[in-house]
Amino acid sequence: MRGTRISYLYPISIFIGLVIWEIAVWDLPRVIMASPSMIAFKLVDGVASGAIPRAFAGSLAHLGLGYALAVAVGVPFGFLIGRSRTVFYALDPVINAIYAIPPVAFVPFIVIWFGLFFEARVVLVFGMSVIEILVTISVGARSVERAHLDVARSFGARGLALTIKVVVPAVVPFVFTGLRIGLVRAIHAMIIAELFLAAVNLGSLMKQAALRFDTGALLAVVVVLAVFGLIVQEGLRAIEARLLPWHVRN
Amino acid sequence: MDPDRHRWLLRAGGIAGTLALWELLGRWQGEALLAPPSLVAVELIHILRDGKIVTALLGSLSNMIVGFALACAIGMPLGVAMGRSRVVDLAAHSWVSMLVVTSVAALVPLFIVVLGTGVVFRITIICVSAVFYITLAMYHGARGIDPRWLEVGCAFGTSPVAAFWKIMLPALYPYIVAGARIGLTQAIRGMVVAELFVIIGFGGMIHTAGLAVSTATLLALLFTLMVIGVAANEALRWIGRRLAPWHEARLLNI
Repeated sequence: MRGTRISYLYPISIFIGLVIWEIAVWDLPRVIMASPSMIAFKLVDGVASGAIPRAFAGSLAHLGLGYALAVAVGVPFGFLIGRSRTVFYALDPVINAIYAIPPVAFVPFIVIWFGLFFEARVVLVFGMSVIEILVTISVGARSVERAHLDVARSFGARGLALTIKVVVPAVVPFVFTGLRIGLVRAIHAMIIAELFLAAVNLGSLMKQAALRFDTGALLAVVVVLAVFGLIVQEGLRAIEARLLPWHVRN
Repeated sequence: MDPDRHRWLLRAGGIAGTLALWELLGRWQGEALLAPPSLVAVELIHILRDGKIVTALLGSLSNMIVGFALACAIGMPLGVAMGRSRVVDLAAHSWVSMLVVTSVAALVPLFIVVLGTGVVFRITIICVSAVFYITLAMYHGARGIDPRWLEVGCAFGTSPVAAFWKIMLPALYPYIVAGARIGLTQAIRGMVVAELFVIIGFGGMIHTAGLAVSTATLLALLFTLMVIGVAANEALRWIGRRLAPWHEARLLNI
């Protein structure tokens, strides 16, 4: 995904893909697969009636709170784990072990601890994004160039000055990557929470559409999620390019 | 002290400390909220002996392997084609990016409407979970092949077919392994998503244990999943070292 150029050719390729899809499902019953025009109709309908914006605003509440908590915990602890060899070696196996468990499998456990509603959704968003942020930042903090540290030390930088002037600038790109991956995971968690805990907001829209065998309305929600994910991801990438022009990799 | 030994001591200390903390928390909170590891270990032996879970697990894993193999069969050629051909890249890249950002969980209700809740549905979810990650890993590998290697082949009169088998494929080995590792992690996640949603197989047992508020069983099941994830990852890493010993396969940061 890195190095994707936003090119005018991509919208054209999406358009051609949609046309092929439209033709391919022309003769199929709507229950089996909705056509792009049907999805667009449902999307416009859902937005105009206010159902999709209302649900989306509700989803943003636990997304925002869970992600904010994940950033507040993940950034400093990731930094700490990466900069201290002792902490790194002590916690690395534990973090890897937790990371190996599929996050959805924690859902029944979260239900026992936090119930089915808002708190549980926030916890799921927090848990799924904090681990990505933690791992990415700790890798970044570990990979500060030894040579840079040595040069700074030989010029007399110590303690706090060394941290602020050498370590932090070296880790900032990883912080951005961690925040970006963490946010994409948080959006995944947002919808997982709404489908696997009590169905609310966008998840409830999807479940109702599924009961009506309305694939168009289902895909309209999927489109909202996909577009939201892409905008958020590319937005963070653009901020990164503005703030850290030396680091934009191709 | 020798640094290697120091490292292992720290690792063991970290695990022991976590277990001790968990034991204390578990004793304090009680089994209904958090079973301590001592109880979980007993429960784990118990459920492994019982055999019902082992059968469910084998069934789930065989679905997972079929879905994962399908994802490799689709994602690897697609990724290489995207990396080597501008036309394929243009046609597919925006779709792949969009689908990677979208959570597979969001597609679950759709696939249930279209495919029902049977084996086909579960294998499809597993395949879709993994396929785009594998595609992107292969895409990066194929794009990164040094053009000079292909030029050398060209200068020696290698046919395009031979150039693929003798130059491109070996250059892609590390990415095949990296893609397979990411893909397998995603496939296991997809398996749990699908099974937890329709409450069947191993994922269904996790759900049932949650409903019964028996955290010892629940944690024993999560532990089993963890062991499977770690073992599968290590196995693929071992294969990677055999296949491409010059390149310690790294997990790509996608």
